[in-house]
Amino acid sequence: MDDIEAKIITNRNIVKDYFLLRLRLARPLGTVVPGQFVMLKIPGNTVFLRRPFSIYDYKRDVMSIMYKVKGSGTLALSNAVKGDSTMVLGPLGRGFNIYNKPNHIVVAGGIGIAGVHLLIKKIKANAHVFYGCTDEKELLLLNDLKMQDKYISTIDGSYGYKGNVIDLFRTRLKDYNARDTQVYACGPEGMLKGLKHALESHRAPCQVLVEERMACGLGLCFGCVKKTLDEKEPYKRVCKEGPVFNLWQICL
Amino acid sequence: MADLSVNLFHNMLKNPVMNASGTLGYGVEIEPLWKVETMGAYVTKGLSLMPHQGNPTPRVWEVRWGMINSIGLQNIGVEAFFRDYMPFFEQKNMPVIVNFFGFTEDEYIQCAKNIVPHRLIIGLEMNLSCPNIKAGGISFGKEPEAVRRLIDRVKSSTNIPVIAKLTPEVDNIADIAQAAYEGGADGLTLINTLPGACIDTHERAFKIRGGMSGPSLKPVAIKAIYECRKRVPIPIIGAGGIMDYEDCLSFFMAGATAIQVGTATFVDPFAIPKIIQDLGDFLDKNGWDSVIDLIGAACT
Ligand SMILES: Cc1cc2nc3c(=O)[nH]c(=O)nc-3n(C[C@H](O)[C@H](O)[C@H](O)COP(=O)(O)OP(=O)(O)OC[C@H]3O[C@@H](n4cnc5c(N)ncnc54)[C@H](O)[C@@H]3O)c2cc1C
Ligand SMILES: Cc1cc2nc3c(=O)[nH]c(=O)nc-3n(C[C@H](O)[C@H](O)[C@H](O)COP(=O)(O)O)c2cc1C
Ligand code: FES
Repeated sequence: MDDIEAKIITNRNIVKDYFLLRLRLARPLGTVVPGQFVMLKIPGNTVFLRRPFSIYDYKRDVMSIMYKVKGSGTLALSNAVKGDSTMVLGPLGRGFNIYNKPNHIVVAGGIGIAGVHLLIKKIKANAHVFYGCTDEKELLLLNDLKMQDKYISTIDGSYGYKGNVIDLFRTRLKDYNARDTQVYACGPEGMLKGLKHALESHRAPCQVLVEERMACGLGLCFGCVKKTLDEKEPYKRVCKEGPVFNLWQICL
Repeated sequence: MADLSVNLFHNMLKNPVMNASGTLGYGVEIEPLWKVETMGAYVTKGLSLMPHQGNPTPRVWEVRWGMINSIGLQNIGVEAFFRDYMPFFEQKNMPVIVNFFGFTEDEYIQCAKNIVPHRLIIGLEMNLSCPNIKAGGISFGKEPEAVRRLIDRVKSSTNIPVIAKLTPEVDNIADIAQAAYEGGADGLTLINTLPGACIDTHERAFKIRGGMSGPSLKPVAIKAIYECRKRVPIPIIGAGGIMDYEDCLSFFMAGATAIQVGTATFVDPFAIPKIIQDLGDFLDKNGWDSVIDLIGAACT
């Protein structure tokens, strides 16, 4: 883990509010586990705290993140241009554990794809990906990803299954034996709730990447907690004990 | 090389810079980036007699030039702190200030009693911003007589020097400082966060209510330090919005003997080691022999 000076190489608008930011780092990041994140300083001086983003991809001294404009911080980020300076603190948190299982199912919704991109790249030959987005245009977010099987849902039905990704996932669930399967997921809280419900009787092991507002990203402030079933200390730090948690241990 | 060391309650600290309570976890989390012993002393996260689970989220929110937090004092309790983390500071021979709180007077007293004197514990910092559940939730630190009585009781239950950490949300902070002094406080920490809130206009609801920290707090802290220093003869530890060494200079010149850095660490995780380095460089460059010469330099 390190705090590294970086310069923007490109900050490209992919589609609608989605951007891909590529950074040249003054030093390479340490070893990265898929699911880990960085705390990024927003270029300029209008935004006070850093913002957390999953490591979308990296190679030596080039790192990228994919982000969606949500509020003031990501809006300011979308206005940054080539050559702007920033700081990257990372890699942070505990990423996905990749077990040796016949079936790896990845479920992602919307910008959640950014959190599982590195994971899919790593397990591509075995990855069965369920991806849900609003419409066909957003499929550009899947970019260059290679995977074994791809199941797509769109809310407006302009591509693939019409509806949400969990309903699509339910139609396929019976094809997978819980013992041979590992599920990984990243997406909005509603999607994770739906997933928990869908897997209730199936009970496949499932790791989810959760989001929470952060101040430090380092486990210093206890600002970013997620409630778990641990009775002694229910609130766990997303930045330290997470951001990847066992679906069956968190309260959704 | 200028001398950065300061004396606090008969302990020589190698420099006057500490973290503010609750902003450097249990002390171990920052180690991948820099060593805690870089600081003069480590201040614990607020500890209580029993473990405390804290508030639901959202717990942090950015505001202009600062942030609001509503952590709700999540902590593992004093006992677990001593068992799990004190060995880490022992191994480093690192001075520790234990920040603690209670929701009743008796909880403060019991908590103070449970903190066994230890060669590395140089002070007990009492968080007086805590709501008193037996007095309708008004914080302990708002009423001079309540402050005097509580500190007096804590003082008679411990031999460790007691530092009263005051809330700025009072009529006249020097009156509170005076009461703390009369109750027997050995020092003051000025200031804790200032209560604040912000609203989500789309949702027509509060986003968060909590304590405001960060650079917007600095002028409030400077005024509090200056006024309390005029009133009471005990050392003051300054806190509130310090982002860099220049901010520190104001705190020393207003009368602080040592300072604490909180929110700045979230913005730049190396803020504390940078401040220590820059402070030394500044003294050298400007011909000051010791940081002690700066203390109260603006107060005549
Ligand atoms: C571990 C982790 C990894 C993340 N990875 C990515 C990523 O790869 N790409 C991406 O686009 N976003 C990611 N996020 C979410 C991203 O951090 C937030 O969208 C961003 O901080 C919003 O900042 P803002 O100033 O634009 O929004 P604000 O103005 O602060 O808030 C706008 C909206 O975003 C929500 N929000 C704010 N902060 C967060 C947060 N930390 N997590 C979730 N929601 C938040 C608020 O509740 C609000 O509704 C990640 C978050 C975490 C915790
Ligand atoms: C996340 C967070 C947690 C805090 N927890 C405590 C605490 O447990 N006890 C306490 O006395 N003060 C606590 N504080 C207050 C700080 O110690 C400090 O007094 C205040 O933040 C002002 O300093 P700053 O502007 O440098 O952060 C906390 C502040 C923050 C931001
Ligand atoms: S963001 Fe500070 S503890 Fe997680």
